[in-house]
Formats: sequence, C-alpha cells, structure tokens
Amino acid sequence: MTEGWRHTAKPFAWRRSLWIAALLTPALLVMVLFVLWPLLSAFRFAFYEFNGLRPSGFIGLENFRKVLFEKPYSDWTWNAFKHNVIAFLALMLFENGTAFLIAFALLKALPGHRIHQVIVFLPVVLSAVIVGFLWKLFLHPLFGLVNQLLGLVGIGAVPWLGNENTALGSILFANIWHWLGFPTLVLLAGMQRISKDVLEAARLDGAGDYALMTKIVWPLIAPSVTIVTILTFIGSFNWFEIPYVMAGLTGSPGGSTDVLGLYFYRTAFGSTTTGIQDFGQGSALAVLMFVFVAGITAIALRYLRRREIEQ
Amino acid sequence: MRDRGETIRNGAIQLLLAGNAVIMIYPLFVMVASSFKTNAEIFSSPLSLPTHFSSANLEKVWTETNFVRYLANSVGITAASVALILLFSTLASYAIARYRFRLSSLVLMFFLSGMTVPLKLAIIPLFIQLDTLGLVDSYLGLVLVYVAMGIPSAVFIMTGFLRTLPRELEESARMDGASELRIMWSIMLPLARPALVIVAIQNAVPIWNDFFFPLVLITSDNLKTLPQGLTVFVGEFTTDWGVLFTGLTLAALPITLLYIVLSKQFISGITQGAVK
Amino acid sequence: MSRRRIGLALAAASFAWGCATSLAHAADISFWTWRQEDKAAYNALFADFTKANPDIHVKFESFPDENYPTIVSTALAGGKGGDVIHTHAYGWLEQFVKAGYFEPLDMATVPSLANQPADALVSGTYRADKKVYSLPFASQTLGLFINKDVFAKAGLTPPTTWDEFITVSKALKEKGIYPLANGMGTSWFNEMFVAIFTNPFLGQDFVSDLTSGKTTFKDPRYVAALGKLLELRPYMPDGFEGIDYETAGQLFLSGKAAMLAGGSFDIATYRSQNPAINMDFVAPPMAKAGDTPQATKFFDGGYAVNSKSANKEAALKLVNWMGTKEFGDKFSALLGNISPIKGVVIKDELLSHVAKLNETAMPHINVVYFRFEKPTGSELLQGDITKMMSGSITPDQLAADLTDGLAKWYKPFQGK
Repeated sequence: MTEGWRHTAKPFAWRRSLWIAALLTPALLVMVLFVLWPLLSAFRFAFYEFNGLRPSGFIGLENFRKVLFEKPYSDWTWNAFKHNVIAFLALMLFENGTAFLIAFALLKALPGHRIHQVIVFLPVVLSAVIVGFLWKLFLHPLFGLVNQLLGLVGIGAVPWLGNENTALGSILFANIWHWLGFPTLVLLAGMQRISKDVLEAARLDGAGDYALMTKIVWPLIAPSVTIVTILTFIGSFNWFEIPYVMAGLTGSPGGSTDVLGLYFYRTAFGSTTTGIQDFGQGSALAVLMFVFVAGITAIALRYLRRREIEQ
Repeated sequence: MRDRGETIRNGAIQLLLAGNAVIMIYPLFVMVASSFKTNAEIFSSPLSLPTHFSSANLEKVWTETNFVRYLANSVGITAASVALILLFSTLASYAIARYRFRLSSLVLMFFLSGMTVPLKLAIIPLFIQLDTLGLVDSYLGLVLVYVAMGIPSAVFIMTGFLRTLPRELEESARMDGASELRIMWSIMLPLARPALVIVAIQNAVPIWNDFFFPLVLITSDNLKTLPQGLTVFVGEFTTDWGVLFTGLTLAALPITLLYIVLSKQFISGITQGAVK
Repeated sequence: MSRRRIGLALAAASFAWGCATSLAHAADISFWTWRQEDKAAYNALFADFTKANPDIHVKFESFPDENYPTIVSTALAGGKGGDVIHTHAYGWLEQFVKAGYFEPLDMATVPSLANQPADALVSGTYRADKKVYSLPFASQTLGLFINKDVFAKAGLTPPTTWDEFITVSKALKEKGIYPLANGMGTSWFNEMFVAIFTNPFLGQDFVSDLTSGKTTFKDPRYVAALGKLLELRPYMPDGFEGIDYETAGQLFLSGKAAMLAGGSFDIATYRSQNPAINMDFVAPPMAKAGDTPQATKFFDGGYAVNSKSANKEAALKLVNWMGTKEFGDKFSALLGNISPIKGVVIKDELLSHVAKLNETAMPHINVVYFRFEKPTGSELLQGDITKMMSGSITPDQLAADLTDGLAKWYKPFQGK
C-alpha cells in the first residue's frame, strides 16, 4: 500500500484532502445520481404492497417473508439461487480454469501465439443476444450441429435445451464460449507482469512447466485472480442475458435454468405470457440479492487481498 | 530427453490452442453464412455454405432502416461513454489505490456495491430521474446511464492494477519535486495502460450491444442506436431467419472489425505491462 | 492507438453524432405496440384514418414483445408513452388501469363500442368499476393445422376424434412423417398446447363448475385430460422437449410433419412463408364421435388511450375509428386476424371457417380467468407442464400445484 503524502508537512494536509476529493468527485457524483438514487427508490418499493402498478400501502417485511418462506415463491427463489451457485462454481472451474491454462499456454509465446490471443477474445465482442441465438441453433435437437456430430456416432436427437438435466449445462457452455477470452486476457496480463528473472531462475533450478505453473505463476498472479474471482461471482449472481435468450424469461424447461436475475425481472416486470407485474416482490428479491452479493464480495475481497499481500 | 519432452508438450499446447481457435471461430462463420440463406436452408442444412450469395437481405436492411444514422449514433454513444468511464474511474481509482485516507475502503465498497445489483431493476426511478433532468430521449441521458453502470467494475479493475505498481517510481518523482497531477498523469497512468485497455473493451462491448436502455430511454428514430434499430427492424420479420442473421451480423460487424483492426494495439496494450 | 488518433476519432464521432430535434405538431399522435411484424398493415390502416381526419397523423412505434411490458410501464410511470397503446387483455390490462394510466372509454367518446360483442368487451373491462378501458382488437382461435397434401400423399384422412388421431398418427409415423410438429421448447405456447388438447375433454360444464367454485383443477376431469397429453408424446418429433414453436412451424410448413397445434394468428404468417401450402385449420380431436367440435378462443388485447396523452381527443377519435366495421374489414383482410367487430365480413375462406369454429369454442381457461393476481395460472402451468411431459411429475401433481398456487388469491380454491 502506498502512503502518498504521509511524510509531507502538515500545512499541505488540506490540499491533499482537496486533491483526493477532486479525484473522487466526478465518479461519485454520476454514481449517486444515476445508480444510488434510482436503486434506493426502487429498494423502497420492497416494503410496499402493489395492487396494480402503483404502491398501495406499506407492509413492512411482508414481501421478504413471501419470497423467502411462502410457497410457491420460496420454492422459486431457492431454485433460482441454487442455479446461481451452480453457475458460479461451474464458471470458476471451467471458464476460469480453462482461461488459466490458455493464458499459461500463451505465456510461452510459441509460434502463432499472437493470432490465438486475438481469436480467444473474438467472441467477447459479440452481444449475448447473438451468442445465445447461435448456440440455441447449434444445440437444436433436429438440425443442430452438436446433434449432427453426435448422430455420426449413433447418438440420437438430444434435446439439450429441452431436457431438465442438460439445459443449465448447455447454457453455461455457451456462456463460457462467450466470455472465455476475458479471464484469459486478465490472467495473461497478470502473468506478463511476473518478472522474467523469476521465471528464468526457476527454469534454471530445473522446474518443469507444471511446477512453474503451480509454484511460481499461480501465487504471483494473485491480484488478477482476485479480479477474475470477484467479477465471476458478481456476474454469476447477476446472470441474465444468455439464459434469457436461450431459455426464456421462465427459465424453461420447468424452471431448470431459472436464475435470480430472470426471476426478479419476471416478478418485477412480468411477461406478456405469464402474467402480471409485482414491483414489491421484485424489489424485495433485488434487495436480498444486493445484500447477499455485496456482503460476500466484501468478505471475499478482504480475504483475497490478504492473500495478495502475503505474496 | 528434456528436449523431446518439451517438443511433445509444446505440440500439445499448440493442439489445445488450435482446437480452441476452431471452437471460437466456427460459430461466427455460421452466423455470417446464414445471413445469405433462406429459412428452409437454415433449417435443413445449417452447416453448409449458402447455395447462392443473395444480397437481398442486406439490401432490405440497408434501404428500410436508417442504418448509417444508427451506426453513427452507436459509435458516438459508445465512444463518449467509454471515454468518460475511463476518465472518471481512473481518477477515482487512483485516489483509492495510491493514497491512504480514512474512508478509502468504504469508498471502494460503495463503488463495488454499484455492480452487485442490475440497474434494470431501477429503470422506473431512473426514467423519472432522467425526465426531471430533461434527459429522456437524449444522447446525454443514455451516456450518463452507461457511465454510471460502467464505473463500478472499472474502478474495481483499475484499483487492483494501480495498487500493484511499484511505489519507488512515484517516490523518486516526488523527491524531484514533481506535482501530484504530474506524477499521476506522466508516470503512473502510462504504466496502467493494460488495465485501461481491459476496462475500455470490457465496457465498450456491452454498451455497444445494449438495446434495453435505448429501447426504454430513446424514442426518436434519429437518436436510435444500431442494436435498438436493428432489433425493432428484425422484429418486423420475426419468421425470416435470413433477415434476422443479417441484422445480427450487421450489428456485430462494426465492433468486430474494429477489434480485429485494433487487435495488435489491444494485445500489446495488455501485454505491455510486462515488467523488465 | 496514439492519443491523438483517439482524439480524432472522438471528434469525428461527436461530429457525426450531431444534434437532433424532433418536430411535432398538435395533431401528431403515436401508437405503441409489440406487433412489430404488423407495421405495414397498420400504416395502411392509419393512412385511411388520416384521409378521413386530415389533421391527425398517426405514428407507428413498435417494441420487442418480450420487453414491451417493461417499456410501457416505465414510460407510463414517467407520464410519457404513446397516445394510443396496444394492450394485452384481462389481468395484464387491469394492473395498468388500477394505476390510473388509461382513460375509460364510454359511448360518448367511443360510440363504436356498440359494435363489440359482450364476451369481447369483457377482455377490456376492469372488473371493479365495470368500465371499458381497452377496445378489443382480435379474437384468437387455437386448434389444429392440417397439411392436406401430406395427408393426401399418405392416403389418410385428417382425424376428428381422439381415437382417430392416434390411429392416423401411428400410420403417419410408420411412413416417416412426424404426425404432430409440436415440441415443448416455447413456454408461452406450451400453455396454448395444453388448452388445445385438453379443452375437448373438459367441456363447457367443467368451465362453469370451475368458475362457480364447485370444483378446482384437482377435478378428475382435469387430471384425466392432462393424462391424454402424455399419449401424444410418441407422435411428436424426436427430442420434442427442445423443439420450439418456430421449429414446429418449419416442420409443418416443409411437410416433414402432418399436423401442428397452433393459433389462427399464424395463418397469415404461414401463408406468406409457403404460399404453395395447402392447409386447413380444424378443431382439435374430440373426446368421442358426436361431440361438439371444440376449439379454444380468447381475446388478445385491445387499444387503450394513455390518460396522460397531450392529444386525448385525437387519440379517442382513433380508437373509436378502430372499432368501426370499416377498420375491422380491412384489419381482418390485411392481417388475417379475426376482428370481433359485429358485421365484419371475412372474405378469406379459411379464416371464415375459423370464425365458424369460434361459435362453439371453449374459453382459454387460464388466460381468461386466472391471470389476475400472482401467482398466475399461466406461470404455474408453464412451470410444471414441461416437467409433466418429461415424466418427472404426474398430472395429479401438476393439478395440485396449479390449484394450491392459485388458492393464494383465488378464494373458491382455498381449503380445497
């Protein structure tokens, strides 16, 4: 941690505070006006009953009780929450794991590594609408690429997105395809910052690739790992677009791909085909998501930062 | 012995990368190819090349939408938003990462909490807020919303990177009597280029692709963004998949081309952070 | 990229960006809808309206279906939005009315209300004050599309009863044709699918028992009707759980499938996609020979006037015109939808056949009666039906979930 002007003379203290305030003000101002204020206004709705599209009366924690403990809402909430947890674990393991391996492979700067850097990031620039749509087509039970390939080895039409056991996995796969480049480049940027001397010294000591990867690279990219982990965590619990495009607002089939993002959006804004809007319950869900995600993030950050400093 | 093992291992790594490349590229090829196909072709032979290259779908999009206007709007809005995100979040994260002050971790948590819940939830209060400021149906309103949405993750990433910069450089500049502004601008920020590049692309992509906020906030046709305009346009042909793919391809094309053209700078920007 | 080049790019972008002003004069009104694909037809209709009312110009503004509720409720909450708003019917409409967003329509402002039949008006009426807020625009009929050429080629006759349906389906399957094109990949349509095939087994008596509180969805008649759906599974395409409604349409249009459970709202689309198709639209299979053919009917929605509209008078004028026979005739002809307006002449043969099915049709139970409060019958049914079709729950469980969920707000189900 840098200590700035700690050693400078006292009369400058107010100038230092002013300087820090000047640096922070623009960002804080925009945040307060366009994030904090609207969100707090929306959170307020969580304590109101909605009968129609306007709040009709203060009901305290009733909306929270409903979404957490009253069936069928509570079933839906926990079902969606479970899928967010699965998504987080799966993305950490498969997306970030693969990203680590690819970043390490790229670090070796073998012939062609530049073109691979470009390619791995290419899907990231596409919109979730395009990605979801493409993979929906590829996973189509009758015409899809995946099943046509499986057909060659004699496996029949698998309804990837239509089966409760495979739908979430298929959507996660599409998500990994879409975002793989991002953690890859963040981790690669972290790896590039490791001093060449350290790597050389390890090599001279006879460390192989595996030892290099686990003993040297992994601990030294702690700051990048922190960024990737936190962003994955927040991303998994705000997950919305790909499931929305691929499985619809209801998390079909049978809620097997429902996640909190979809559930809260559906509750707050309804859908033309399932029914009506309830800002009260929707906002209660959002407050709960906020408390959970912000709470865990704060704790995780403290832990991960400590790990960084220990290195 | 060691060399042979090395060759095999490098071969395996090349194989991994090549396989990955195929998986990354192939779907894009299908998307582009499909934009030339008819419905029947897309369903009966989704993987083949189109039997004939018809530009009918392309012409339809070109003549029936305000394509150039939408494109210019999207470029302007994305560029302005990303520029402001970089500016504001760099300043803020510099303060958080490089100075020790009482509220610093609280400020960071405040920024972070801004990305823990989707702003979509607050669309109604946000709309009313923008309306009060006279910013509904204007570029500025949309840009400010994007800036507010982008700042949290940008501050998070930038803070993480800025913290890791060696403090010796800063200290020695300070000894030489450089001003704080000068230290930040000429010494520290150039070193943070990889993070700036990552933040820029991480924000440019979702802003470019977003159609939710324009749909709600923009109603004038000459202010519409490309994804918004094309979403509505493609909707008129809900069952014409060729037009749909053309719309998708055209919406994705500008940013994809831009990325490919700038990829050298992009990659070197990221990897330039290599120390020594 | 050098800093200067970024600067140049920014400058160029902001130049291209320009500044925009919109010119509006007093009689410009806008029409908001989710029916993006109907743009050409509505513009033609609005041109007719402007001919009769030269001082009023109507702008067609469409939004993606899935974002429409969010966009409309946000704009209306901010006191903005189109002057005339296309609404969905029943419960969806009510929540807007409760918030005071729409103008009540009466005989003084909208005399063409007199042209609407009673069951249509119900779809646009707020139950609490009995006033009409949305002028009904179309009735939709759910039934069975038949590809006549496929049947002729296979030497089979389209089925009218359930037993015939099963026999014919077996024969079609042996010839390598999918008997029924439908899958379970589109949530909103799954609900329609259930209505189509269960209604002939339920009958009008069940509906009156249900709505009068004599019975619930746990009724053996409902459970048995759900059980019938399971018999359809062998005759749906391979991997039917993942086949969405669009794919089903393609399978039917390309002749790979012989029948498709669908809605009259798609007749026009299918014709435009395959002008050569020789198709029929019939009532779904009857429980037994001699029953009344029972398609399913509901009203989609209507046209409402934004209570914050700056041009309320012009907006009401437009809505009134949208209730006239002149509008209805052209609307039905252009869009292939059945206008509920009395006296509308439907020239198209297939469409007039559908209108005939409407005379004996059953209501779409969930949409008409159970979409007023949360949890809606629709969300409960849509959540469970894929599970039932894949075999992970039984029809009994679905019926119980539906009844218990609705009992939260639907008093007659409570304690049953």
